[in-house]
Amino acid sequence: MMKRLSVLFPLIALVMAAPAGAQQPPIKIGAILPLTGSGASYGVWMKGGAEMAAEEINAAGGIGGRKLEVIYEDHAADASKAVNGMRRLVEVEKIPFTLTSYSAPTLAIQPIGAQNKVVMMNGGGQSDNLANKEYLYNNIPVVSNEVGVIADWLSKEKKFKAAVVIVANDEAGRNAAKTFREKFTADGGRVLAEEQVALDGNDFRAQLAKLKAAGGDLLFISSYGRNVAVIADQARELGITLPMAATSWVLIPEVFKSKGAEGMLVTRLPFNPDSPFARKFKEKYKTDAGFFAVQYYSGTKIFARAAEEAMKKGGGKLDGEGVKNAIESLKAFDTISGKLVFQPNHAAVMDIEVGVLKGGKVEVEKTLKANP
Amino acid sequence: MPAYVAHYLVMVGIYTILAVSLNLLVGYAGIFSLAHAAVYGIGAYASALVALKLGMGFWGGLVVAAVAGACAAALVGIPSLRVAGDYYIVASFGLQVVILTVFMNWTDLTNGHAGLAGIPRPRVFGLVIDNPFKYVVLSLALAALTYAVCRRLTGSAFGRTLRAVREDEIAAQATGKNVVLVKIVITTISSALGALGGSLYAHYITYINPSSFTLDESIFITSLVILGGTERLAGPVVGAFILLAVPEALKFLAIPDTVAAPTRQILYGGLLILFMFVRPEGILGRARAKSA
Amino acid sequence: MDLVLQLLATGLVVGSLYALCSLGWGLIYGTTLHFHVAHGAVFALAAYYAYVGQKLLHLPLPVAVAAAVLAAAATGLLIDLLVYQQLEKRGAFRTSIFISSLGLLIVLENVLAIVFTPDPMRMDIGALGTAVIIGPVFLTYLHILTVALAVAGYAVLAAFLKWSRWGQAIRAVSSSPEMARTVGINLGKVHLLTYAIGSAISAPAGILVAMDVGAEPFRGTRFVLLASVGVIMGGIGSIPGAMLGGLFLGLLENLGIWKLPSEWQSAISFGVFLVFILVRPRGFFGRTIHSAEI
Repeated sequence: MMKRLSVLFPLIALVMAAPAGAQQPPIKIGAILPLTGSGASYGVWMKGGAEMAAEEINAAGGIGGRKLEVIYEDHAADASKAVNGMRRLVEVEKIPFTLTSYSAPTLAIQPIGAQNKVVMMNGGGQSDNLANKEYLYNNIPVVSNEVGVIADWLSKEKKFKAAVVIVANDEAGRNAAKTFREKFTADGGRVLAEEQVALDGNDFRAQLAKLKAAGGDLLFISSYGRNVAVIADQARELGITLPMAATSWVLIPEVFKSKGAEGMLVTRLPFNPDSPFARKFKEKYKTDAGFFAVQYYSGTKIFARAAEEAMKKGGGKLDGEGVKNAIESLKAFDTISGKLVFQPNHAAVMDIEVGVLKGGKVEVEKTLKANP
Repeated sequence: MPAYVAHYLVMVGIYTILAVSLNLLVGYAGIFSLAHAAVYGIGAYASALVALKLGMGFWGGLVVAAVAGACAAALVGIPSLRVAGDYYIVASFGLQVVILTVFMNWTDLTNGHAGLAGIPRPRVFGLVIDNPFKYVVLSLALAALTYAVCRRLTGSAFGRTLRAVREDEIAAQATGKNVVLVKIVITTISSALGALGGSLYAHYITYINPSSFTLDESIFITSLVILGGTERLAGPVVGAFILLAVPEALKFLAIPDTVAAPTRQILYGGLLILFMFVRPEGILGRARAKSA
Repeated sequence: MDLVLQLLATGLVVGSLYALCSLGWGLIYGTTLHFHVAHGAVFALAAYYAYVGQKLLHLPLPVAVAAAVLAAAATGLLIDLLVYQQLEKRGAFRTSIFISSLGLLIVLENVLAIVFTPDPMRMDIGALGTAVIIGPVFLTYLHILTVALAVAGYAVLAAFLKWSRWGQAIRAVSSSPEMARTVGINLGKVHLLTYAIGSAISAPAGILVAMDVGAEPFRGTRFVLLASVGVIMGGIGSIPGAMLGGLFLGLLENLGIWKLPSEWQSAISFGVFLVFILVRPRGFFGRTIHSAEI
């Protein structure tokens, strides 16, 4: 993919030869994504979305006449790799802005971005700790919004009383589980047991056996990526018949294909599988688009808008501080999912849908306006 | 100096400290420990935690790291008093796994998998060491200091006792050397210095998590020692210069990272096998009398 | 109570896997005194041989598995022939053998990671994946097969070592290489045979895990470490010891998390081992060790 883009640039530059004749250097931004490992499915969407956005931006003349170039780094769900990637991007490529993903990697790079005045746009990680951080913006709601919604729905409408929870032992998983416990018990439910699992593990029978022994009427899965499918299958294999519930980050192909996941109660952030974007994505990458594809498409376009603004105010110069100021002053951005408004806590709010996973699709039961 | 050269030199400094301190155990005391990454990690976490939670400066953090390392020495050293050779190797594997599990799961202290971010940069006489170029000076200075300390140690009477213990523990004991004391001293010094390397690392990268201190890392540090040569103190230094250049060189080939990381490992592993065939004493080693 | 029984069952299954690994590694170590960590690579390779056999060559599962075991035996034999024996001819120290084995483990695992990616490669196990319910315990047929294979493997190995001529030759070398040589036993050939048999008996463990959760390039390291722990606890040179050591570790890991938080699972085996080694390094059934090791 990257090779194709780099071939396109000289061609486009030639075709759109600037009136002045001299070619401006491209604007480089980073994208630190889970390109391999347990979250590779997200990576396909995130990279695809960013690429499509960059191509469209460049086809329309670039940003202030300059081409946009996205440099991809793979963190493979490992925050150390994200840090190495970020340092390369900041120290060698001197980027003003980077897309980022996942909670722990984003938290790890945030101090580097803040210190070097590089704006970070997170479209995927959802830990509550991602809010209120300098130079970091989240065009996705933090997880307590979604977890709050599903906890309410599960206890008040679905009448579940006692939950057992399986938790990914990382920042995002533990954060979501903590919020679930708080909200579920506030609604009158009880959490009987919690077991931790590794994101890249593949045998959870011991933990599931302990959860089974604890009883309860609901299994809440506070994990994401490929292991959710394994958790669901192994739970059923062990004879756990409890209904399972999770938030939108589990809506990936592996989980759609899993028999164990059938009937899972889920939240979903708005995504229209029939939109022009989704159809174009499917045609280009030969696989269905997902919510995160839109997120990183939007994140790239938000950068383009903010960069234009920054260059106007800065007399053609572009740096991270200028981009940050532009985001702060504009606050609201038009995206293909509607108007996105960054809250004072640097996160976004979105409508949340709740429903049931059936045959690889979500049957939506309700749409709720999220609380900022 | 381009930034990547500065980065390379900083890492050479850190790994020199790690490899030279490991060589005290492997080359001089004959204790083949594969738990050095765990010791490295203890130093990194100790230093990072006192900086983040207590606001202690870099130099204080170094001292704390060294003390933490010295305490960890007990873990490394006690099995060596009881068993040696292959038994000890397995025990050190086990120690490495246990300590790593602690890093991963004692989340209240270490923040587990998420790691510790925002570790402050060192301050030397009021100057903040905030870029790789300044860090090169700090890193190489500490490496030189470590080397000097080890040189004094191995050149002294203690050093001779050490070699005697390595060659033949029973004979050494028979001539009145206090083998237990020797082992305790050497593991303490080795671990304290290894922990220093951890502190230097933590304040450079400004972020640490358990994945930097795994068994793979122990094996890598051991490779530096073996390939450079265990006989001489400078062996690991040469090993560090050469092996750390490999990932830098690979960066210039446009290999995607998913292939680059295993390729790097294949090169390291291949070098180990190759050296055992053509030069088992390492680059700086003296060819030893071969056993039957 | 249900939980304990379930953990006991899982522990037996996992213990069977460890037992197969310990039997193979222990046989090799006891006979050659090579610290053959590359055994972990053979374990991983066996899984991929089976995967390739079934998924790429479209062989029926039993054929793919049998072929994989043979291929693993050949791999182990070749490692000794081409690496260890060559080093020994050059007068290498035992440490050099260990280092070369470490190098081999790293190289082979990472080649697998490049060729197959680090993601798990799943196999089709058909009816073996069906759940079996025994009282409160849930298992699959694959798990039951695992325990059965471990028992069978042990029995076959024990019988071979006791009654066949080659088995006796192996035992002779294991107890004293010098004596064996004096009575005319060809050490080189015995070593090759040991490697072949040791690899063949551990290969099913790698294959069974792959059939359960998929083949992965780096899983072998953990298994070979646990195998060495199992062998030491059981006592070097003791075949029943290796079997029991492996089973003990599996049970320990699973029953251990009955009361302890499950995230500490990997620390339990090694933690217990560290205490054990201070108290009784000889192991349960070990003979007094020659000074090379202690």
